[in-house]
Amino acid sequence: MAQVKNRLNPFFENITFDREDNELILNFGPQHPSAHGQLRLMLHLQQEQIVKAHPDIGYLHRGMEKMAENMIYNEFMPTTDRMDYIASSSNNYGFALAVEKLIDVEVPRRAKVIRMMLLEINRLMSHLFWLATTALDIGAMTVFLFAFREREYLMDIIEGYCGARLTHSAIRIGGVPLDIQDSFIAQLRVFLDKLPQNIKDYEDLLDKNRIWLMRMEEVGVISTDMALSWGCTGPMLRASGVKWDIRKEEPYELYDEVEFNVPWSDKGDNFARYRIYMEEMRESAKILYQTIDMYQECVENNQTELMAHAPKYVSAPKLDIMTQNYSLMQHFVLVTQGMRPPVGEVYIATESPKGELGYYINSQGGPYPYRLKVRAPSFWHTGILTDLLPGYYIPDVVSIIGTTNIVFGEVDR
Amino acid sequence: MRAYTPKDDVQKKSYYTDRFFVSPQVPKFPVENDEVFTKDLEAIKAKFEVSEAYIQVEQMVVFIQPEDNYKVLELMKNELEYTQLSELSAIDWLAKENKFEVFYQMLSMNKRKRIRVKMFIDKDQAVNSVEKLFRSADWSEREMFDMFGIEANAHPFMKRILMPYDWQGFPLLKTYPLQGDEFAAWYEVDKIYGKEARDIIGPELRDTAKVDRYDSQRFARLGHEVPKGTKITGNEPKNEQSYQEEGGVFLIKKLNKKDSVVIDDPQR
Amino acid sequence: MAQHKVNYTKDGGLPVALTSIDKIVNWGRSNSIWALTYGLACCGIEMMASGASRYDFDRFGTIFRASPRQADVMIVAGTLTKKHAEFIKRLYDQMTEPKWVISMGSCANTGGMFNTYSTVQGVDRLIPVDLYLPGCAPRPETLQYGVMLLQKKIRANSASRAQKAKRLM
Repeated sequence: MAQVKNRLNPFFENITFDREDNELILNFGPQHPSAHGQLRLMLHLQQEQIVKAHPDIGYLHRGMEKMAENMIYNEFMPTTDRMDYIASSSNNYGFALAVEKLIDVEVPRRAKVIRMMLLEINRLMSHLFWLATTALDIGAMTVFLFAFREREYLMDIIEGYCGARLTHSAIRIGGVPLDIQDSFIAQLRVFLDKLPQNIKDYEDLLDKNRIWLMRMEEVGVISTDMALSWGCTGPMLRASGVKWDIRKEEPYELYDEVEFNVPWSDKGDNFARYRIYMEEMRESAKILYQTIDMYQECVENNQTELMAHAPKYVSAPKLDIMTQNYSLMQHFVLVTQGMRPPVGEVYIATESPKGELGYYINSQGGPYPYRLKVRAPSFWHTGILTDLLPGYYIPDVVSIIGTTNIVFGEVDR
Repeated sequence: MRAYTPKDDVQKKSYYTDRFFVSPQVPKFPVENDEVFTKDLEAIKAKFEVSEAYIQVEQMVVFIQPEDNYKVLELMKNELEYTQLSELSAIDWLAKENKFEVFYQMLSMNKRKRIRVKMFIDKDQAVNSVEKLFRSADWSEREMFDMFGIEANAHPFMKRILMPYDWQGFPLLKTYPLQGDEFAAWYEVDKIYGKEARDIIGPELRDTAKVDRYDSQRFARLGHEVPKGTKITGNEPKNEQSYQEEGGVFLIKKLNKKDSVVIDDPQR
Repeated sequence: MAQHKVNYTKDGGLPVALTSIDKIVNWGRSNSIWALTYGLACCGIEMMASGASRYDFDRFGTIFRASPRQADVMIVAGTLTKKHAEFIKRLYDQMTEPKWVISMGSCANTGGMFNTYSTVQGVDRLIPVDLYLPGCAPRPETLQYGVMLLQKKIRANSASRAQKAKRLM
């Protein structure tokens, strides 16, 4: 059947294929199943070896920073979901924390505990998803099916809390909108009790698997200097010999009250990163057990507040809005006009599953932020591919992209 | 008479502001409140001109001269242990004072401190690239160029990063509307089908709340679906949509509610 | 060689099924809809989830293929940006006839919440779409229901007649 005419030029407009040397140019993406989204890589190859890599991003640039300048603060919250869509709540949380620091509001303890639960559940979801997709790219189909199964249990729990599977918007500026549902803790306990066995299952399948080891060990080695220079954070940095976890070093929420270890390695290769993800899942489970106890303490001490009390910025509880006139008026103003934070700027970094997720907000006293910049960890984890890939071979590209754990909603924003 | 809208800042504005409303400030503290920051500031001040410095929300903000940026960051990296450049971007102040503000967000892992180095540059001024110090600046400076049009001297590959290479305009300028200009609106149509296809494909529908009852090109009315392009008069028949086959198809059973079991336990 | 006597009037009848060409071709087509892995954004994750263990897309005969030349249906899952727009057209042209397009999620339908300079306001500006799935992101159940509706649509069409190409222009 005849093709419809269009104006599209041949694919490589600017690249000469008839080269003097033996270099082959390979285009990878932007629609490639193992590119984890819309990554386009231009690879210059010498036989099978990569001599030059040129990542091209922006295929999912949706203009979120521009949107933020045209939205009131609460309106922007659902947009943050779509940034790192594997772990939405951690994006919500980063934004909420930045605005809370700007308006100087202290969140009630019970809300903090619920936030921590959500954050750690998101971390587990993200790491399980990472394991599933990376294993799938490398050919371990069973692990993909196993990890997705566990992820669905967590999805159920989150869905029971906020009603959405993927885009949660479960955190508000000043607290959380709802208390956790009755079955939340019971379901979470069931899941957490099973988790060590599940992680052991994955490890049994992968740790001594010859194919897995060959694709992972001594592949994609990032030195400490390189990781620091490229702005790597999170598991990428910890695998390269820097023990830096923002939850531990600059504690936010109640992370200074819980006990957990920060796994790190000085190998810097794919396998080190894989081990760190696995260990972090165990640590997250540990934190979740402790938050369950903290939550029950809150219930015993009758701490029922979920939203901060700051009439200038945060709406009153729903019961007050429904029964008291002034609360209703204040709520009306906050919804229609938006809160007006003080003039100033703030940069707050949180430890998202991928790394340091920072929000820079410049407020000029208006209901819209004057400038909002998102420091997304994946952006630099994609950039490092420029320096990381040369020297490795084509099959290594897939495993290296896999272990960098990049999400394109976050890279391109 | 139509209300005047300023052309130098087309972003959304609050439609009502109390005349007597004075916005409070996020408190700024003197640098002397913090020992580590005091020492760092002294080290910077010894060699470079610092126009202003204060602590805001637990982080020090230092204003430097734009020509010093490479050397200040070099000093901070090599002597003050600020080993990571977390973020680098700009703020558009063109409407107010015809300047850009560029900020460098630095992190020291040994000291557990963050410093924001800031500077003002003129409209067409380029900054010195810090890509030699921090490789992460490679991409952030490209992003800054892409979004604001601020070029970095001595950058190895000063091209757009997020937008296509043939894009026109710098999206994060305050003069650039959220929904794009004429070029942006027709970009994909022009590129794929050519300008003459504009009339056939039609303009973008930007009003999300708009529902055209008589439009069968886009969304048909639920339950009254018609083939694409049919002229709708309002008398189209009701169309039952269900996933069960009428009469039953091989291998597909009809759902019998009496025989089905409802599973309550989500863990099952 | 042993002779097996078959009594066609008894024992389950003829080992032959009578059907029309239309029906059997459509039966084959509708029960082996191979989808192109076209996860663009968040909806792509839900598309993966519907292919994974809990929702198990293989029941419908829907297997994800990475090459457009092997795919029957393109599930546009996620936001289409202006930078990516040329590729969707190219991939659509590379798919073999008959082909169908499912637009999954608000972003692919209308641009959704991203009413910005860099987002294509609906993939139907570039390629013809058969099915629009609402939601942000649609649940895997929605996608499966969508595939079932698409199967119904395929069965309703005449297979023997040459397929009329769906064209925007």
